Amino acid sequence: MQILSRIPQLLIYGVISGSILSLGGIGVSLTYSILGFANFAHGDFMALGAYIALGLFTLTAGLGIPSTPLGPLSFGFGFILSFILAMGLTALTVVLIDRFLFKRLRHTSSIILMMSSIGVALGLRNVLQFFWGPQPHYYIEKIQLAIVIPGVGVRIKPDQVFIIIAAIVSVGLVHYFLQHTKMGKAMRATADNMALARVTGINTERVILWTWVIGAALAATAGILAGIENKFITPELGWQMLLSIFASVVLGGLGNPYGAILGGMIIGLSEEVSTAFISTGYKPAVAFIIMIIMLLIKPTGLLGKRR
Amino acid sequence: MDTIVGIINYIVFFAITAGTYGILSLGLNIQWGYTGLFNIGIAGFYAVGAYTAALVSGPPPGAWDGRIFGGFELPFLVGLLAAAVVCGIVALLVGIPTLRLRADYLAIATIGIAETIRLVLKNESWLTNGVWGLQQIPSPLYDPIRAGVTRFLGGHPDLPPWLHDLIFKSYNWFYLLLVLGILFILYLIMQRLVRSPWGRAVKAIREDEDAAAMSGKNTFSFKIQALVLGAMIMGIGGSLYAHYARFISPASFKPLYGTFLVWVMLVLGGSGNNKGAILGSFVVWGIWAGTDFLTGYFPFTATQAASLRIIIIAVLLEVILLWRPQGLLQREKRPPTILKKKA
Amino acid sequence: MSLLTGEGIHSGYGDMEVLHDVSFRIEEKEIISIIGPNGAGKSTLLKTIFGLLKPTKGSVTFKENSITGLAPDRIVRLGMAYVPQVENVFPSLTAQENLEMGAFIRKDDFSDRLEEVYELFPLLKERRRQRVGKMSGGERQMVAMGRALMLDPELLMLDEPSAALAPKLAEMIFERITAINETGVSILIVEQNAKESLKLADRGYVLASGQNRFEDTGENLLANEEIGQLYLGG
Ligand SMILES: Nc1ncnc2c1ncn2[C@@H]1O[C@H](COP(=O)(O)OP(=O)(O)OP(=O)(O)O)[C@@H](O)[C@H]1O
Ligand SMILES: [Mg+2]
Repeated sequence: MQILSRIPQLLIYGVISGSILSLGGIGVSLTYSILGFANFAHGDFMALGAYIALGLFTLTAGLGIPSTPLGPLSFGFGFILSFILAMGLTALTVVLIDRFLFKRLRHTSSIILMMSSIGVALGLRNVLQFFWGPQPHYYIEKIQLAIVIPGVGVRIKPDQVFIIIAAIVSVGLVHYFLQHTKMGKAMRATADNMALARVTGINTERVILWTWVIGAALAATAGILAGIENKFITPELGWQMLLSIFASVVLGGLGNPYGAILGGMIIGLSEEVSTAFISTGYKPAVAFIIMIIMLLIKPTGLLGKRR
Repeated sequence: MDTIVGIINYIVFFAITAGTYGILSLGLNIQWGYTGLFNIGIAGFYAVGAYTAALVSGPPPGAWDGRIFGGFELPFLVGLLAAAVVCGIVALLVGIPTLRLRADYLAIATIGIAETIRLVLKNESWLTNGVWGLQQIPSPLYDPIRAGVTRFLGGHPDLPPWLHDLIFKSYNWFYLLLVLGILFILYLIMQRLVRSPWGRAVKAIREDEDAAAMSGKNTFSFKIQALVLGAMIMGIGGSLYAHYARFISPASFKPLYGTFLVWVMLVLGGSGNNKGAILGSFVVWGIWAGTDFLTGYFPFTATQAASLRIIIIAVLLEVILLWRPQGLLQREKRPPTILKKKA
Repeated sequence: MSLLTGEGIHSGYGDMEVLHDVSFRIEEKEIISIIGPNGAGKSTLLKTIFGLLKPTKGSVTFKENSITGLAPDRIVRLGMAYVPQVENVFPSLTAQENLEMGAFIRKDDFSDRLEEVYELFPLLKERRRQRVGKMSGGERQMVAMGRALMLDPELLMLDEPSAALAPKLAEMIFERITAINETGVSILIVEQNAKESLKLADRGYVLASGQNRFEDTGENLLANEEIGQLYLGG
């Protein structure tokens, strides 16, 4: 019974980690559906975003931009500004990587692209490690008191509420983009059938550019939110989540961004709830086993149908 | 003279490691080079091979040990075969759910199994002694050879010191011969295999799986066989590592780095060419070792130097993919179809 | 000057040449039908015209501009539209979104054009919010043709629009093709249903083994006994 009483609290943690996994997963799913390869560098795009934000935050503090905490949060305006700029700079970096590397390999095969993305993953991670070292860097030094939600008795910190709201807003924006803007619709069309998209007059190179921009901005968001949740970041931050992200994406249906959101939530919740029963060290394995079970039952995932 | 002895000893050490990597590269070649299977869990299979050999041939748990199992002190070759068999079983379990699907799924599943294996090694102390790892793994014929060497050196007290030092380390020469011998035997087996009807079948699958399936081949079964065979060879590589290092722990098997090096070796050497696989392992291990010397000349910290070496290897991979995708040695005869346009 | 001409086209997939020296022309406001047995290279010809395949030899000229080897998204801008034989709709988009994609390169308001296309295929207006992946073969074909018409092209190329449709639906599609042609659009149509398509065509070409074998008016081709036996099923 001790175990069961912990579950409501674990569900809260699950929603938080699910939010972060979902944001990471959307990018993996979009790249997969447009460019046809599993991008192993996506986790490291997350870490890149988190480190760029850290660098900018130090810079804004140096420039005297106020960083007194906003309301109950443990960070202030300077941090939020760095957050937003980091999304843009991560997107820019990723677009450059595409220009110089992935674009030139696009005429080969999806496996070559996947292999190349592994090279990018390790290269990027070690660039971060080269400059910042392998040790953790603290995002937030302040210790924050949790709010106790009356009745259920679960605790949640204001920063964690921020994470959940940021994820909901991001998902809402992605949904609006995909369903209601011309470029978003073109992106879905290109994901359906790239050759037909070109025949229709859609500039597929522009679509690809937007895919990277959105995927990278969301990766940066996920990385920074993970930093807020853990209070620190390391160069391995993204890689440590990548397996769970892949599991989420496969569970929801590889290539379907909505599946990535659903899958991310399920994986996040399962990983956290599993800690009531087995060692915390096995979180990534829980994700992996759920993924394998899904592949055995329905390889196209919960929401997927193509490919 | 001392430096020359140092260099020779280093070369022996270098060749043992490169030869072990050559075995992994041969294993990957049968999976990727000939069959087109994208396995990025090499480190996992390598670790399973090493741990299996250590548990089969190593000593029983000591007082300091968290283990309650294993350590049967069986002969080296038994451990080597056990390593191959256990790796084959793991490969079978990964292959069944994924090999009917697109290549991406196998990639994700193999990296997942490698990570899961690492977690098991870390957490299941009763079997693996957790992060402390397994120690005192015997090297084959170590005692008789050392005894012989000691007796010989005792009988020749007037040898020049450098020769004395070289002979003193001659167990490593023996181990080098063992590794190269196993590498060569595996190479011969692979060469025969890829030219057999079985080899033609897997190559047909690599070229065009749908066409191979239409001509009546059970492609799934062939792919499973290739995955299992490759994993067994990697297991042999792992067992050779365990017996040489004599101490293994989860930290020796960081999931991506080992895997990544083997991939670069195969891609650089020329996937789909067994000679290329072996050549690549020596060249890339040479570059890897060379960068160790090189970064020593710059005012970097140890971790910076380590990062820089990985960056260099990553750049090397991208350079090969962009400008020489066929690698140093081309595939025999047919052009690499992975370079063909997707429909 | 002809609207579209192809001269001495050689084209294929990788090392395999499928078209060996194919030539043709289309005048303004004409309906041209290309018929031929399975595997003759009809679809390959359309893909080559539209820039999905690069010809190894020969040239394609549209409105006096060479479009040989031009990318499809550029060719669209010149006033040509193409409905492929298979996979010619975006299944996860709604019918209306498919049509909107057809107007992707238009920056202005295209709601008038959308209404015109809906007038041509009233059924699509009813189903405009439905995902095309869930639609029947005939409805998909309408979506595909509607999508191609959104830019008000001067030339419409259709690859087997009646394939796999029930006879009544096929008849309806042919009727629409004539209607589209009457608004001044030239049409290049590839058909298995050779008799029907030759009936409405001004001229026709017979393609076999990657070469043009015959060229004549639709009526004459229909009357030609040799063609009748070989390609029109007696
Ligand atoms: N994507 C492709 N890759 C390789 N070969 C192809 C491809 N598409 C078609 N072919 C080959 O090219 C030849 C001509 O095919 P094409 O599709 O042009 O014929 P078609 O006249 O349109 O036939 P159908 O009436 O069946 O549509 C055939 O031998 C076919 O097998
Ligand atoms: Mg055709």
